[in-house]
Amino acid sequence: MSGLEERRRWLSIARHPGARFAFLVAPGALFILIALVLPLLSIVVFSFWRTQSYELYADWNLNNYRALLGEPAYRIFFLRSLFTAAIVSFVSLAIAWPVAYLIAKHGGRYRLLLVLLLAAPFFTGVILRITALQGLFGPIGVINMALNMFGMGPIGVLMYTQFAAGIGLVYLYVPFMITAIYLSLVNFNFELLEVAKINGAHPWRAFIEITWPLNWIGTVIGLVLVFIPCLASAVTQRFLGGPQATSFGMSLSLQFGETGTWALGSAMGVFLFLASLIVILAAGRSINLKRSGFTGALDR
Amino acid sequence: MSLRAERRIDLAAFSSGILLIVLYIFLYAPIFYVIYTSFAADIVWPFPPSFSTSSYQDLFASSLYAKALSNSLILGLGTAVLSTVLATGGAIGLLRYRNRWRGTAFFLFLAPLFVADLLIGISTLAFNSRVLGLPGNIYSAIAANSIPGTSFAFLIILSQVVRYDWAMDEAAMVFGAGPFRCFAEITLPTIWPSVLGAFLISFILAFNNLEISFYNLGAIPTLPSVAWGSLRFGLGPELFALAALVNFAVFIIFAVMYVLMRYQIVSFGYRGR
Repeated sequence: MSGLEERRRWLSIARHPGARFAFLVAPGALFILIALVLPLLSIVVFSFWRTQSYELYADWNLNNYRALLGEPAYRIFFLRSLFTAAIVSFVSLAIAWPVAYLIAKHGGRYRLLLVLLLAAPFFTGVILRITALQGLFGPIGVINMALNMFGMGPIGVLMYTQFAAGIGLVYLYVPFMITAIYLSLVNFNFELLEVAKINGAHPWRAFIEITWPLNWIGTVIGLVLVFIPCLASAVTQRFLGGPQATSFGMSLSLQFGETGTWALGSAMGVFLFLASLIVILAAGRSINLKRSGFTGALDR
Repeated sequence: MSLRAERRIDLAAFSSGILLIVLYIFLYAPIFYVIYTSFAADIVWPFPPSFSTSSYQDLFASSLYAKALSNSLILGLGTAVLSTVLATGGAIGLLRYRNRWRGTAFFLFLAPLFVADLLIGISTLAFNSRVLGLPGNIYSAIAANSIPGTSFAFLIILSQVVRYDWAMDEAAMVFGAGPFRCFAEITLPTIWPSVLGAFLISFILAFNNLEISFYNLGAIPTLPSVAWGSLRFGLGPELFALAALVNFAVFIIFAVMYVLMRYQIVSFGYRGR
């Protein structure tokens, strides 16, 4: 009999909406709290420590930040990464919008396939794809060899320059931007455009006043998904950028690799995180939930 | 006005169609280059063409690559399962129930999108090795890869669950279905395309992840870490052959999907809109 009562008691707890919310949401939220937030806090702590011959020592100091802010090399690396990330984000945006719009509006039953086709190149590792880009752009690559055959000189700007690294970054991250905008557009009610048209709005005006603001969240997520990894990117510049393209990420990964100065690396990580945070907050401020078309879902 | 506007819209669709095709060519040119090079006698100087299957023979002769591939598959599958389960629960719970923790949880689920892979890699490495004293292995790599994996999966599933009509669940409950039965028979059959999409995306991202896995795997080889390790001596031709084979498998999967969609055997959530 008590078994039945026990069971009933558990059932009444399980029926409670708060319990259901916790059962569904807590595992993921706690996982991210433990696996992401705690490690980030730990590098904040390490950034005030000291490394000596590959070991971390807990004497608190500000030397890492002093080095980071005082040394002009780091400033150059950071500004270079910032500039690259900004340019790459806007180029990706310009490419992604028409493509995402086309897939969402005219993709029909092949929409999912068209989007997955954007993700399929990721089955080939970053290193191989960048090496292949090198094979296409480089001094002995397809493009310059073909130009050579027609008696033209090679395109210098494609060989080991920041421009080449930028193309590489657009190549790697534009699928993320397209997917973000696409996910926003599939929830967009295209009939609104018909209404605008009936009321005499020019297609461009309908786009600027309806489509663009109602999909602004998707656009912001896309921009963030491109900007954040570009700001931290190391591998692309290393292979495509040549000697003049050392990025903040390259320098950061060096601290955790060859040089083994973890404390300074942690300080660089914290700096990178704060820089990303500023950009995200600036982007987040521009989101007006009332005009996003997202309110209905969140206010349930 | 209307005729001119129509034509302009067609022009816009046409030019974005061209952009779409150019983009796919741009995205796949390196892939075709990898496949082409895998059949070349010399991967550093693949032109003029010289056909050879030696890289495939080397690939099958070595055990390292089979091990790296299987580790990558385990890493990808583990991450995909963990990410999809956490994200499905999160998306449904957050959209269905009002709760004062909702804002915090929403923020946590999206937070990894705002942290670069490199930063996730180094901070989990620092945390695991210096705070917990754990060595890197396949489990720590699965956990670390699941951080962004959960976020991407959450975003994908959320975009479909937003449109989900909870009245269907309530109807099922009225007729006596429990929450699990309700999920299995009503919710999941409706939202499965996005769950599948989330599974695939988190798999793909973990399968070939370099920057997170590099710091978390210890000495366990996966495809990207083998590629990274062999860079010092120039990429091994076996890697090109292996990538070509992986792409071949992917191509077959996509071809099957295309046939299923073409003959409307499975619609993948498309309901003629």
